[in-house]
Amino acid sequence: MTGSRHDPAPRLPRTAASPGAVAARARNLTKTYGRGATQVHALRGIDLDLPRGGFTAIMGPSGSGKSTLMHCLAGLDQASGGTVTVAGTDLGSLDDDALTIFRREHVGFVFQSFNLLPMLTAGENIVLPLELGGRRIDDAARERVRLLADILGVADRLAHRPAELSGGQQQRVAIARALITQPDLLFADEPTGNLDSTTSAEVLDHLRRSARELGQTVVMVTHERDAAAYADHVVTMQDGRIA
Amino acid sequence: MRAVFLASLRTYSRRYVAAAVAVTVAVAFVVVVGILTSGARSGLMDGLGAPYRNAEHVVSPEGWPSSELDPAAVIAFTERHGENASAIGRATLPAHAGSRKLSDTTTVGPIATSQVWRWQELSSGRFPSRTGEAAVDVYAALAEDLAVGDRITIGVGAAASDVQVVGLVESPSPPAQASMYVTWPQLLLWRDHLHLGSVAVRGEVGPLPEGAKALSPEAFTAERLTHVQNRVDSLSVMLLLFAGIALFVSILVIANTFSILFARRLRDFALLRCVGATRRQVVRSVRREAAVVGVLASLTGTLVGVGLGHGLIAVIDALASAVPMGAAELPVPWLLGGFAAGLAVTMVASWLPTRRVIRVSPLAALRPDAGVDARTRTGLARPALLLVIGLALLGVAMDRSSTALMLAGGGSVFAGVLLSGPVLVPRLVRIAGAPLGPTVRLAAENAAHHPRRTATTTASLLVGVTLTIAVLTGMATWRTSLNEQIGRDHPIDIALTSPTRPLTTDLLTRIRRTPGVERAIPVYGAVAQVAGLHDPIPVVTAPAAGQVARDGGVFARVEPGKIRIDADAFGKDLTPRPGDRVTVRAGDRRIQLQVAVGTGWGPAGVVAPETLATLTDAPEPRAVWIRASTGADPARLGADLDELADPVGATIENGLRTWESLDQQLQIYTWSALGLLGIAIVIALIGIANTLGLSVLERAREHAMLRALGLTRGQLRRMLAAEAVLLSLVATVLGTVLGVGFAWAACETIVKPALRDATMHIPWLSLGVVVLIAALAGLLAAVLPARRAARVSPVAGLSLD
Ligand SMILES: Nc1ncnc2c1ncn2[C@@H]1O[C@H](COP(=O)(O)OP(=O)(O)O)[C@@H](O)[C@H]1O
Ligand SMILES: [Mg+2]
Repeated sequence: MTGSRHDPAPRLPRTAASPGAVAARARNLTKTYGRGATQVHALRGIDLDLPRGGFTAIMGPSGSGKSTLMHCLAGLDQASGGTVTVAGTDLGSLDDDALTIFRREHVGFVFQSFNLLPMLTAGENIVLPLELGGRRIDDAARERVRLLADILGVADRLAHRPAELSGGQQQRVAIARALITQPDLLFADEPTGNLDSTTSAEVLDHLRRSARELGQTVVMVTHERDAAAYADHVVTMQDGRIA
Repeated sequence: MRAVFLASLRTYSRRYVAAAVAVTVAVAFVVVVGILTSGARSGLMDGLGAPYRNAEHVVSPEGWPSSELDPAAVIAFTERHGENASAIGRATLPAHAGSRKLSDTTTVGPIATSQVWRWQELSSGRFPSRTGEAAVDVYAALAEDLAVGDRITIGVGAAASDVQVVGLVESPSPPAQASMYVTWPQLLLWRDHLHLGSVAVRGEVGPLPEGAKALSPEAFTAERLTHVQNRVDSLSVMLLLFAGIALFVSILVIANTFSILFARRLRDFALLRCVGATRRQVVRSVRREAAVVGVLASLTGTLVGVGLGHGLIAVIDALASAVPMGAAELPVPWLLGGFAAGLAVTMVASWLPTRRVIRVSPLAALRPDAGVDARTRTGLARPALLLVIGLALLGVAMDRSSTALMLAGGGSVFAGVLLSGPVLVPRLVRIAGAPLGPTVRLAAENAAHHPRRTATTTASLLVGVTLTIAVLTGMATWRTSLNEQIGRDHPIDIALTSPTRPLTTDLLTRIRRTPGVERAIPVYGAVAQVAGLHDPIPVVTAPAAGQVARDGGVFARVEPGKIRIDADAFGKDLTPRPGDRVTVRAGDRRIQLQVAVGTGWGPAGVVAPETLATLTDAPEPRAVWIRASTGADPARLGADLDELADPVGATIENGLRTWESLDQQLQIYTWSALGLLGIAIVIALIGIANTLGLSVLERAREHAMLRALGLTRGQLRRMLAAEAVLLSLVATVLGTVLGVGFAWAACETIVKPALRDATMHIPWLSLGVVVLIAALAGLLAAVLPARRAARVSPVAGLSLD
């Protein structure tokens, strides 16, 4: 039952030198849902370079294709056309297992809600990606958990279960979990959608600090202008295209 | 609310499938028991009534079964009626087929020459039509190796008479059954041995023999049936006990289904309350849902049970025609009972979860979704009290050998364990899962997160496994102890003893070549006159008895100065009592020996080699002791050896018969009990699949998130499989411990007082097999839910509500 120790899929070679300072690149990316009368063109040809180490916000009205774009960039979903290259790997060439392992090693996520497993404590949730990859929780990992928990202000909450945390704390634990593997890309889909404005500001501030202090590449999807203001770059979407 | 009710049924009907299957199986079980009972009853009725089918009156003893009719009076009564009466009964006589001795208790009954009174059914040959002809019961023919054309001598001395077998017949009426049938005039030859239990009469009855009454055939059959019926009824009660266990397990499965579904729908209910539904409206809608599930499942169960029951009767008729099974009429009370039980079980099982629905406040709809599955604190006080009381009762039960106290104590302990499940089981699951890597640990955490659900799921399996293990261990203990006991009572399977002539090596070789003989040893001795015994007997010594004896040869180890005699072989003739000193004389030598007794090696006295040396200088082979190979047919082997023994004037002592039939009976009991418990276990496994399937639906978002974080499809499947295996392993291991404990208590309470020197015997291999099967079954239960869970893509899972 300890399958995580020996995954069947091949390990991906890490490309040390990605072309230029680009963390992720999309070329002529399209995504179509359904067919016939009910066909929806969620993405209609996206060309995008996400700079390494930057905090990018993807903005746009509801239904403009922001989440779809994020899913394709993160390897959660296969695009209908075009290419996505993340950390030097063409995601279109990977099967489901390879994509899963790619996500485990290169991508971190923060969702709008339901980020944490209810049966695990905050601390256990943070190290979950390491465990899924079959890595041992060594001193270095514990050190990193402490560092992240300090930066995100949840150090005294690690033994609590998600139900005992406030919404803002839950999101900060989720950020810590996304950062634990030092991913090439951190995606956040409407991370403040469920929070009040003060808490939102806190979470956004932590995301920005992660990008600045830890040198992480952060991509945040949001429809709030205020949230986008925390980012270094803003990409605006409209009807499946970059406006 | 009607729209809500219908929509709920539509939306959730698929989630009720497993629970409905559990109820269906349990109800079908009850109905099958009912149909088999009714079939057995009508089979008995047909059989019992067969000899009287053309009668208008049946004459039988007034005070039956404690009084009998005077055979002479019955014969006179029957003769007086001539063609209009037929007496039913039999004589018990010794019989020979040529030089071959048949059973000492061969029964001979009458067979009518007229179609009107003849109730036996011809199987081959023809019916006897005159004196000197006989028909043999097919099973008797099989056992005694008789065929059409054989000549049989019935009776001995002056009463001996020869008959020829002209046909084989089946005898549908057990009370009137005999090994062979002859015509009435022939039967009257043995009028002194005749017992006549009833007379079938047409027309006027006239004056009755003394102490007799006349009944209608229906009334007579009913009277006899109630007597036999008690056995059928007690069998039904036992079967119902197992059906009850299956129903109880179904309650657990259904209760789980409802509580999982309702937990998931709690917000829906709150929303309904927000928009103006009253508490009663919500509850009524939910209850109606349970009722629909209960009615449909019980109905299906009843139909399935009817089909299965009739199928089983057909199978029994085809495979074991000796078992009386008639066409079952639909046992309406059973059908209604089964249906009602299924419905009641469903309603009862939905009761507790429904109470939570009642308590939901409209505000719950407005709260964020976290914390809906609030952890319920479970007190340990009550289970602990039950455990302590139960253990105390068990202790007293063992001390006083009281079965009632043992059952009460066992029940109390088991209830205590079940109630402490929500505290106990999650801990055990965590402990079991901890060392096995992250996937399994996640699975263990999943299980531990819902303590009540996990406890109920395991409880259903725990019930079946505990009982299975208890039965296995109890039966193994009983069997080993019984084997030891039988080994002491019948140490030698078959003993061939020759008081007249010494046995030849040629005979020994032929015995060893007989099929069914595993080992045979010659036993040396001398023929001697033991004071107090009528005839001289061989006095032997057998240092090698251990090679063939079931007790390891203990019975043949006799101290010098003693002689051990088989008490059964002499029966009432054994005038020397144990401890008496008797003179033993062989030729001109004599010696005083002290008598000891035992059983199971035939008419020979066993002494120590030194003792024998004082009686004779040249011991001769006087007996052959035989160990039969496993599975040898006792009757056949006995008959074969008898043929070898007769010409040399030796006798045969067959201890194998008792041995084999007891062993077989125990085997049949064990396997029936296991088969019946199997039904409860199958329901429990459906329950595990059910819990897992429902929580897979409930946890779709969790799974999607894990997939996004890097859990591969395979890992997800393994996680769910691990959860099922952990649940079934914990239930099985706990059940094994409890089952062995209960078996031990039962051994101390029941077996020890009945069989001295009984020791606990744990069948490790069987227990291992049960644990393995449970783990594999758990894996099997996870297959469907795991596949469904793994099919969902992470994006689809995340966008679920
Ligand atoms: N699984 C799906 N099936 C069909 N249409 C979808 C699916 N997911 C998204 N869409 C459609 O694609 C478009 C873009 O959706 P989305 O990327 O979620 O927008 P945003 O995140 O910007 O609100 C919308 O019109 C939406 O209805
Ligand atoms: Mg979106």
